[in-house]
Amino acid sequence: MLSYGPVSGHSGPFFEDLTVGQEFISPGRTVTEADIVIFAGLSGDYNVLHTDAEHMKSSIFGERIAHGLLGLSIEQGLASRGEPAAAHGVLSGLKWKFKGPIKIGDTVHVRSRIAAKKDGPDAARGLVTVERELVNQRGEVVQEGETEHVVERRPA
Amino acid sequence: MSETAATVQCFFEDVEVNVPLETPGITLTRAHVALFSGITGEAGPEDPNTVPGLLPLCLSSGLGWRVPRPPLAVLAFMGFEWRFLAPVRVGDTVHSVSRTITKRSMREGGVVIEERSIVNQRGETVQAGKLTLLVARRPAA
Repeated sequence: MLSYGPVSGHSGPFFEDLTVGQEFISPGRTVTEADIVIFAGLSGDYNVLHTDAEHMKSSIFGERIAHGLLGLSIEQGLASRGEPAAAHGVLSGLKWKFKGPIKIGDTVHVRSRIAAKKDGPDAARGLVTVERELVNQRGEVVQEGETEHVVERRPA
Repeated sequence: MSETAATVQCFFEDVEVNVPLETPGITLTRAHVALFSGITGEAGPEDPNTVPGLLPLCLSSGLGWRVPRPPLAVLAFMGFEWRFLAPVRVGDTVHSVSRTITKRSMREGGVVIEERSIVNQRGETVQAGKLTLLVARRPAA
């Protein structure tokens, strides 16, 4: 059978390959009106903040803004493109702050840093804490927090 | 003034502390997983029946609109802490149970801290945490 990579099992990086202090920068992504519409449809969250352009003209934001959890979902996807804890671990916890709006047309990327490593739920896995910032095109941090991931240890 | 759709909301003054609110359920399907993977751009899990951890949390925000109480007049979602306690699989039906544990008045509105659990069809809590929301005051009549 022709194979372009491992067809089964986990090929790393493993818990041992991650170092506290390692930093990663993701590619950017432009958040569009379509992202917001699809997220409203999927989540069922039709708050006027995200869906009523006329109402939002008179708000402090002046226009519709992305759902906070849409920003976080995009953040998680961006982080998985390069940050090994996100790409190869299972998300087990989050502490997260929404600091500023994401508007239609904003381009965001993720800065992340491995902050801590500790023993996991069993001998085969460890816990990795990552500090992350979601940054817009003006360099403003619009979301930030810590994510915790369960990452497999290298098999003995 | 008659109540229009825009005024039927749960404002800061209306939020009751420690009253549990239980939503209807929603069955997780492969369609949910595919749409969500399209939004995040995250490579899907090897097992197509694995539900990404953030998806039930995102769905719980919409489930919160389907309760007898009018929707909360949220001005901003300020932050949250969350634990992913057990896997969620395609075919599972989840609902959310929440209650306000604290409310604190501020100049622009009020801060409400909500405890929320996502529970599956076997009654197991699969995700849980605390959310901090800025909620509008009732506008002067």
